[in-house]
Amino acid sequence: MRQFWEWSIQGPLRELAQEALRTLPGLIATVILVALGFIVGWVAKQVVYRLLRVMRFDRLCDRLGISAVIEGLGLARSSSYLAGQVVEGLFVITALLAGLNALPSNISRNLVERFFTYMPHLLAALGVLVLGTLISRFLGRSVLIASVNAHIPSARLLGGLTRFFVLSLTVVAALDELGISRTTIIVAFAILFGGVVTAAAIAFGLGARDLANDVLKTQFHPPPKQETDDSLRHV
Amino acid sequence: MSQELLTDEIKQQLGGVGPVEIVVGIPSYNNVRTIGRVVQAAQVGLLKYFPERRALIVNSDGGSKDGTRQAVEEANVDSQQVLLVRHALYPVHRLTTPYHGIPGKGSAFRTIFRIAEEVQATACAVVDSDLRSITPEWIDLLLRPVLDLEFDYVAPYYKRHKYDGTITNSIIYPLTSALYGRRIRQPIGGEFGMAARVARHYLGRDVWNTEVAGYGIDIWMTTTAIAEGFKVCQSYLGAKIHDAKDPGADLSTMLVQVVGSVFRLMEDYMAVWPRVAASEAVPLFGFPFEVGLEPVPVNVARMRDSFRQGCRDLTSVYQAFVPQGRLAELTACAALADDVFVLPDELWANLVYDFALAYHRRTLDRGHLVKSLTPLYLGWVASFAGQTAYETGAQVEDRIELLRQVYEQLKPRLIQEWGLEAGEKRSES
Repeated sequence: MRQFWEWSIQGPLRELAQEALRTLPGLIATVILVALGFIVGWVAKQVVYRLLRVMRFDRLCDRLGISAVIEGLGLARSSSYLAGQVVEGLFVITALLAGLNALPSNISRNLVERFFTYMPHLLAALGVLVLGTLISRFLGRSVLIASVNAHIPSARLLGGLTRFFVLSLTVVAALDELGISRTTIIVAFAILFGGVVTAAAIAFGLGARDLANDVLKTQFHPPPKQETDDSLRHV
Repeated sequence: MSQELLTDEIKQQLGGVGPVEIVVGIPSYNNVRTIGRVVQAAQVGLLKYFPERRALIVNSDGGSKDGTRQAVEEANVDSQQVLLVRHALYPVHRLTTPYHGIPGKGSAFRTIFRIAEEVQATACAVVDSDLRSITPEWIDLLLRPVLDLEFDYVAPYYKRHKYDGTITNSIIYPLTSALYGRRIRQPIGGEFGMAARVARHYLGRDVWNTEVAGYGIDIWMTTTAIAEGFKVCQSYLGAKIHDAKDPGADLSTMLVQVVGSVFRLMEDYMAVWPRVAASEAVPLFGFPFEVGLEPVPVNVARMRDSFRQGCRDLTSVYQAFVPQGRLAELTACAALADDVFVLPDELWANLVYDFALAYHRRTLDRGHLVKSLTPLYLGWVASFAGQTAYETGAQVEDRIELLRQVYEQLKPRLIQEWGLEAGEKRSES
């Protein structure tokens, strides 16, 4: 009976205690690391935020159009604050990863390893998204202003379409970088893009047959140039 | 750097000419219809008014394909018909050369100034090649104040049709007067006289790859002359009549070059203009006789439509730098019926200052910013054309003077906000 007690009850309990004792330091280390990550992250956020404000980082972001994107997406109250939040997030993520790594478990270590392997793709995708958003805004505005100055009635539509297509390309490129259903995304984009173009062509051909006729006639048989009735000289 | 502007062939030709006292420069690009007459007028002007001085006429061409350069070479003066009081001691030399650098009037001027430096000229005049109203007297009026009265820079003063030079009337003249305190009525007129030291000063500046290479050259020269303390005056030249349109001129490009230059110069001279409290008249030479002017047809309805479209479609752009109150005023103007359509002077001057401030703060890409001014500017022209439809030239001049005063009255707001960060303060005035 005594042997049974020692072997069946005390043994597993001892092993459990030993296992707990072996795991506990790692667990405590994880908790400490994560807590430290949050504290250091918060301090770093405050430092970065104040430093960037002094360095007029918001003004630079205003010029580059980044502030408008941040404002539009409701990400943060200012570009400097967002930068501070990003730094804080990096500290917290690093602390979490360090904490996971401190646990004596193969699963957590594998997770950390995978995260670091995936990190460059994540950063590249983020870079593509930021750059694409800026380019789409710039090109959209270029098309909008040029169209207004050329008296094109659907100027806003053209500007919006430009932004949409550049953003679509950007999202596809970012998802491709992340390796998320690569083939599906490319095929879906091709179908969507092809569909839009075909629909536009059919709509133009059927809905605006006369206009299409006029455009083609003008293209291949341009009418003689007429003098404008406006000979205003600006300078 | 300026050494590279002249080819060995040009230097060789200049060597044959020797030192000259006066250089008259004519920039050109596809001006075959008018340049012959301009060259002849310059030649007669030099022979008639400066017979004792060695002179050179330089045509700096931007690669014309319509025979402009041949027209220059063939433009001869029959000295029998000119009826000179005094026989000219020296022949007037002529030189036609392509210029190098960014295509534009500024690059053409740069080559002319370099040639003036090379031949050690004491005075230089430049005249546009599309003029139809130029007379030999223009050469005298542009050069005499420099050669005999020790002025450094002579700006033109003409009688122009009320719808001619609308960027000058709406922005350049009132803004330049308000900023720098000298009332030069045609700061971007196209015809100027200057002392050699001024031309050398221009040549030495590192601006030739900016808007100055194009339409920005005129305002840059005038502003630099005023802001750097050169002695400036104006000469009355009579009527300015020229070919109706610049070849290939696009309004928004023109605005970027001209208005962009003014805004850029505001940054260059921000130690100068905030100290200027009021403007004063500049000496005017010549006899201000009355002239007949050719009518300039304008399509007011189209300009009003452009303004309305701009107010409707570019709100997202204007919101970044125009205060809400002012945007509401713009929207109200756009909603006015055609027969009562007016863009008030105060609103217009405030808008121009908003654009200048946004340019300074780089709120938007600068090209986008100035191009987005185009529909608003057309709105001002439509409003001006509507208000002045039955007014005489003198009445129109009074109206432009009133606009200048408005710019001057609002200048303290510009000074106050100039140093502020974007978003720190947005005036509702």
